[in-house]
This record gives sequence, C-alpha cells and structure tokens, in this order.
Amino acid sequence: MSRREYLKNQKQKGRRLIGVFPAHYPREILWAFNSLPAEIWDPPLDIEGANAHLQPYICSVVKLGLELILQGKGDMLDGFLFPHTCDSIQNMASIVYDYLGVGKPCYFFYHPKAPYRPSSRRYYLEQLKSLVSRLERDLGPMDENELRRRVEQGHHLASILREIYDARRRGGLSASNADFYRMIRQGEYLHPDDFIPLLEDFLKASRGGDGKGPGVILSGVLPNPPEILNLLDELGVRVVDDDLLCCGRRIPMHTTMAQDPFEALVDSYFAMPPCTTKDSPLKGRVDYLLEKIAASKAKGVIFYLVKFCEPEWFDVPCMAEAVKEAGAAVLTVDVDLNQGLSGQLTTRIEAFVEMIGRQQEA
Amino acid sequence: MSLVKRARYHFMKDIGAPAVMRLSGAGRKKGPGRPKPGFGPGLNCAVRLKEIMTRHYFLSRYAEGAKPVAWVTSGAPVEILRPFGFYTIYPENHGALCGAQRLGPELCAEAEAHGYHQDLCSYARIDLGHFLSGKTPVGRLPRPDLLFASNNICQTVVYWYRVLAHQLKIPLLLFDTPYNFEDITENDVAYMVRQLEEMIPVLEEVSGRRFDSRKFQEMTGISRDSSFAWGEVLATMKTRPAPMTIFDAFIHLAPIVSLRGLPVALEYYHILLRELRERIEQGIGAIENERKRLMWDNIAIWYKVRDFSNLFAERGMNFVTATYTNAWAETISLMDADRPFESMARTYSLVVLNNSLDHRLQLMERLIKEYHVDGLVIHSAKSCKPYSVGQYDIKRLLMDRLGIPSVIVDADITDFRAYSEEQTRTRLEAFFETLEG
Ligand code: SF4
Repeated sequence: MSRREYLKNQKQKGRRLIGVFPAHYPREILWAFNSLPAEIWDPPLDIEGANAHLQPYICSVVKLGLELILQGKGDMLDGFLFPHTCDSIQNMASIVYDYLGVGKPCYFFYHPKAPYRPSSRRYYLEQLKSLVSRLERDLGPMDENELRRRVEQGHHLASILREIYDARRRGGLSASNADFYRMIRQGEYLHPDDFIPLLEDFLKASRGGDGKGPGVILSGVLPNPPEILNLLDELGVRVVDDDLLCCGRRIPMHTTMAQDPFEALVDSYFAMPPCTTKDSPLKGRVDYLLEKIAASKAKGVIFYLVKFCEPEWFDVPCMAEAVKEAGAAVLTVDVDLNQGLSGQLTTRIEAFVEMIGRQQEA
Repeated sequence: MSLVKRARYHFMKDIGAPAVMRLSGAGRKKGPGRPKPGFGPGLNCAVRLKEIMTRHYFLSRYAEGAKPVAWVTSGAPVEILRPFGFYTIYPENHGALCGAQRLGPELCAEAEAHGYHQDLCSYARIDLGHFLSGKTPVGRLPRPDLLFASNNICQTVVYWYRVLAHQLKIPLLLFDTPYNFEDITENDVAYMVRQLEEMIPVLEEVSGRRFDSRKFQEMTGISRDSSFAWGEVLATMKTRPAPMTIFDAFIHLAPIVSLRGLPVALEYYHILLRELRERIEQGIGAIENERKRLMWDNIAIWYKVRDFSNLFAERGMNFVTATYTNAWAETISLMDADRPFESMARTYSLVVLNNSLDHRLQLMERLIKEYHVDGLVIHSAKSCKPYSVGQYDIKRLLMDRLGIPSVIVDADITDFRAYSEEQTRTRLEAFFETLEG
C-alpha cells in the first residue's frame, strides 16, 4: 500500500493526520490523541511554487516541505506540527502560519537546545505539557493512561529498532542497504500498531547475513537520493550503522519506564544520540561516531549531506578529521534531494569504495 | 591570570592606548573635512568613534592572560559577564570590519580550506578562518577563556561556537531563547532565568571572581541607558532632513554591539546624540537634497556601504531606518535593573530575529509610518537565513498593505563572491524608476 493510500485508510479509521516537519518531536503524544504523525522530509515533488517564497540558498528539505503545502498535497492532513529544528524550518513555519494561512491548526514545538543542563530537562517537560494543552484545545482531552500505553509502545519500538541496528552492526542482517532503509523509513508515517509487527517480521526474515564486504557508516540528515543505497549494494558495501537525523539519531540509546509518562518521555529525549539540531557538544558527536566505528569495524564514513544544511555542515570538518585520525576513510557529499546520482558523484563513490576495499584486503 | 600580563595590560591601558588613540585621531581633529558631493557635512563624532574602537581592538591584544576573555555573540546578554571583568570580543563585529575592508573572501577561504563549506554564514567563516590562520586586520585577537552565545539571532552562532569550543577546549555558555512563533510564555521566561542562574558558577570559575549582584545591577543599568540612547540616536532620523543616514548608523552601531554595559558606550551615544540634535536645530541633513526616504532590511553589505551610500545620495535618497540597527534598541524598555534576570530574559528573547515573521512585518509597518519611508531595499543575505527567509513574502505584503515599493538585492554580508554588480545595478535602476515614477 502506498503512503497516500495508507494515510487515507487511517483517516477513514478515524485517526487524525498531522503533517510533521523534521526532526525531533514526541510522537507518543500524538498517538495518545489517536492521531498519526505523517512526517514530511522529502516528498517526491518538483519544486515550483516554493521558489516564490524561499531563496535559492535554502535546502531542499525545507523547499519540498513548503512545496507539499503549496501544491495542496497536504489537503488530507488535519494540521501541521513544526518542531524547532533550524533557522530555515523556523522561518518556513512562520511563512506558513503567518502568511499563507493554510486554514489548519499549526502546532510548534520548541525543544531546548543545550541538552546537558538541569534547566533543559525541566523546560522539555513543560514543553511536552504545553503541547498537550494546545492539542487538547482542538482534539479534546487526552487520556493519561493512553499516553502511558503509547509511551510503553514507543519504548518497545525503540528496542526493536536497536535490535535491528545491532544485528546489522554485527554483520548479522541479510537485508540490502536499500531494503533496510525502505523498512526503517516507513516509521515516518506508519502507526506503531502496524509498524512494530512489520519490523518484527523484517528482523525475523533478515537475520543471518554473511557480514561480507567493507562496512561504512552514513552520517547526515537522510538517505536520499536513495540511489546511493543501491549503488553501495551493487558495489558490495554494507552500511553497518548510521548517524542520520531521520533514522538512527532518533532512536533513544536506552529507555526507562518512569512512573510518570511525561518523565519517561523526557528520559527518552535525553537518551537520544547527540545531535546538532539539539546543539549537543561537538565532542559528544565525535565520540559517538568513533564508538560506532569501533563497534562496527567500519572502514569509512560517508557524510551524506543535504546542500545548504547549516547544522550538519558546521560539524563535518572536526568529525571528518577525527574519523581519519581513527584510521577510517571519509567521503563528503552534498546533494539536493530526489535528484538521483550524477555521474560525477557515482565516480566519487566508486573511488571511495575501491579505496576502502583495498584497506579491507590489507 | 599572570601578574606580568596584568601589569602590561594596565600599562597599555593607561599609557599605550591613549597614545594610539591620539595617533588614530591625528589629522582628523579639525572635523570630518569637506563634504562629499551629494552629502551634507560629515559627523564630527566619527573621529571619537574611531578612537574608541581602535582602543578596544588595540587593548584586546594585551587582554589575554591579564583578564578573562570571552568571545560573545551580538545578541547575547553580555551584562551578566560584565561584573566578572571579562574582556569581550565580538567576532561578528570583527567579521563586519573584515567585510568592510574587503577581506571577507580571503579569510573565508582559510576556513574553506579546512572543510568549512562556502555556503555557511560568512561571519562564521571569517572567524574560523581567522582562528585557523591567525589573519586579521586588527593585529591580533586574544584567545578566549569562555564562549558566550545566544540563539536569539540565529542557530548558526551556536553551531559556529560549538566548533570553537571543541577546538579550544573551553566552556561554551549558551543562552537558549525559545523562538516566539506565538507569544512568549511564563515557562519560556522561567527557563531563561534558570539558565542565567546556572551560568553564575561557571563564570565564577572561569574568571576567578565572585558574582557581585550590585555591580551586575549597576552595569545592567548602564547597558539599558546606552540602548535607550542608541534608540534616541536612531529616532533623530525621523526628522526631515535626517541628520544622519543608516549607513552612518551601521558604523556607529559598533559600541552598542561590542561595548554594551560599559560606560564608554553610554558616553559615546550621549555625545553623538548631542551632535545630531544640533544638526537638527540647524537643519543640517546627512545628504544635501533629501527627496526620498528609504528603509533597509537585513545586515549591511559591508563591502558596499560606501558605494551604496554614494549611489543613493546622488539621487537625493536617504536611508532613514533599518530593521537591523533597530535591533539593539527595540526591546530595551523591558530591561529593569531591579529584576535583572527576568527582564534580561524578555529583553533578549523578544528581539526581531527571535520573533515570528508577522512580528517583523508589523515592526516594519510601524517603522515605515514613523520614519515616513517611501521605499524599501531588501538585502537577501546568503549568509543569514533567519534574516532572509520570508523576505519575498514581506516584500509582497508591504506592497499590498502600504503600497511601498521595494527591491531585493541578492548579496552577502561580507563575501563579495556572492554579489553581482551588474544584476544589482539593473535591479536598482528599475527601483529608482518606480520610486521616481
Ligand atoms: S549573519 Fe545571520 S546567520 Fe550569521 S551570525 Fe549573524 S544572524 Fe547568525
């Protein structure tokens, strides 16, 4: 079933659909309102109208998101949620809310930057509660028991995802790179009631890879254009782990079920891997990546970045240097979404793979 | 802090700096000289400003090891650093200075050679380029002991300062100001107050000084008064003819950015204000024949300030207001030295760039009316997404609501590789025609 058909189906079942822009937000709260977050990262659209609102130096995640609204492709949605992720998403959200008048509720979610201070924890908790009050105004009261159930479900989902990632890291997953991310990214719109069984089946069916071929780690925002995954598959390269904002960087490293579901959500948020959109210290990001390299024995890291993405680009030089010092190779690539792989990029990736292949043999 | 370095710093402060100031002012004491064609007499205060800023950068060379040094973002609540005696350096101001001297691409290239992408904010690239190469037109910037950033102007500064913190292995204090998509909440204010409280022990440790709340209140008062005075300076441009131009204001902005909270900034703006009021009394305008009054949106195009200034003055067009210069005066009435933390939270988180675009539009509408603006020049700055995204809509809405014509100039604040003279000329000519038509 296509994403659109699935969402239509969910709507018919009585779920409200909330279009959610990247990246961090408490989806358990939406589930508890019997709503379904449909994340908007890289809709397959041609950019036309968005250019009348956004300058050429704005990234394609933001442009495509706005395009979706302008082309009316979000008509099925009952509202939008804008997490405060970066300057461009922030201003685009303001364009939508202040100037376009989409005629649907818009919710904003500001997560504290500096995720290492007591004040941040407290504020995050308050933000969760104020999001709930805001949603209650439109959607009616939220049942706290339902929230608890959804938080537990979120934990369960995170633990399966961790298991899948672990299996892959150890070379024990037979799925291709393309299939792996096709599966993981379905979490951007599937309800957990549907997504969890799908993931469990996927894990069962793909256990037992041969762990052959050099391993690489992807770091960046999202694996798009997906052709890169196909190319890596063709070249016999395994993506053994990732530090991608839309994928691994949103899986809490551990979860604990606190008595209070809000506290549990706070714990989960602060247990997420370090991330530039939360202003985690750069050292935390470097160490996290180096641990991944050590644990997966990856031969290289591909910084696979969206053009004009400031949060990611600032960290790359220091991270790349640390990766090289750790003896792994680095490839840095910047792309526009949905544009496929150019011949030049294909050649660069092939050369990179050849190099790590030689290292592997040595 | 080393005793020798401290002694050297004080010697330079008392003996060296005054000598340098005398030198920098030498030859200019007679005033700004003959006016350029199209302009009224220049501001006498420019000499004093040059002295102050030269002294600031000159002394900074001796601050390292003598005083705790902090690198600070332009929108950070620097008042909290003042009672600890930090010598503060504003890399954005340094970036503007490099930009004005057309050194942007050269310093940016240093950062780019280390992997910093050409699409990143050029203030950040200049600073990282300076940090990695040591190049600067001001001799030398002292290494910081502390970094102090606030994301009330952009998230970019935090990404940038995180890199510095990592490289230098020093603390980064972040004042996180939740963006106001809608109205500010009590939770937001309480969060910011708690952050300020959390900073005190770090500041005590880095500076080796105890927090003195009385001194803090006193310096908060100075800061508030300076911003008020700056607001009054800007307000003089409501008069016809305006006694200064926004291009003057771009330059005279330096103390309110870099020396906020220090008596020198307050004294300076009082002198400037006096001069401007005298000019108003005498009917002296910044340009000879002020026929049209314009507003500027966004940060200056630093390498083009002089050219633009001439180009518009020749046509009797004067820029009398800007969203940018206004940012250091806009929210100052919220500052209250008796409730410093809470009022600082509001003052700093309600600035233009931390508010929704609707707020910005309302502000611009107000400025257009108060300053009797006939047209608007919008700088779409490649470096600065928070300032630039939304400008296309603002342009359209101001035309619809107030019939204000405008032009968009695609450029960058300091990196002139992102600027096309030909394209800009063509657009400006069309704009001039509309304005005159
Ligand atoms: S120019 Fe814009 S992006 Fe750069 S530091 Fe200033 S406010 Fe931030």
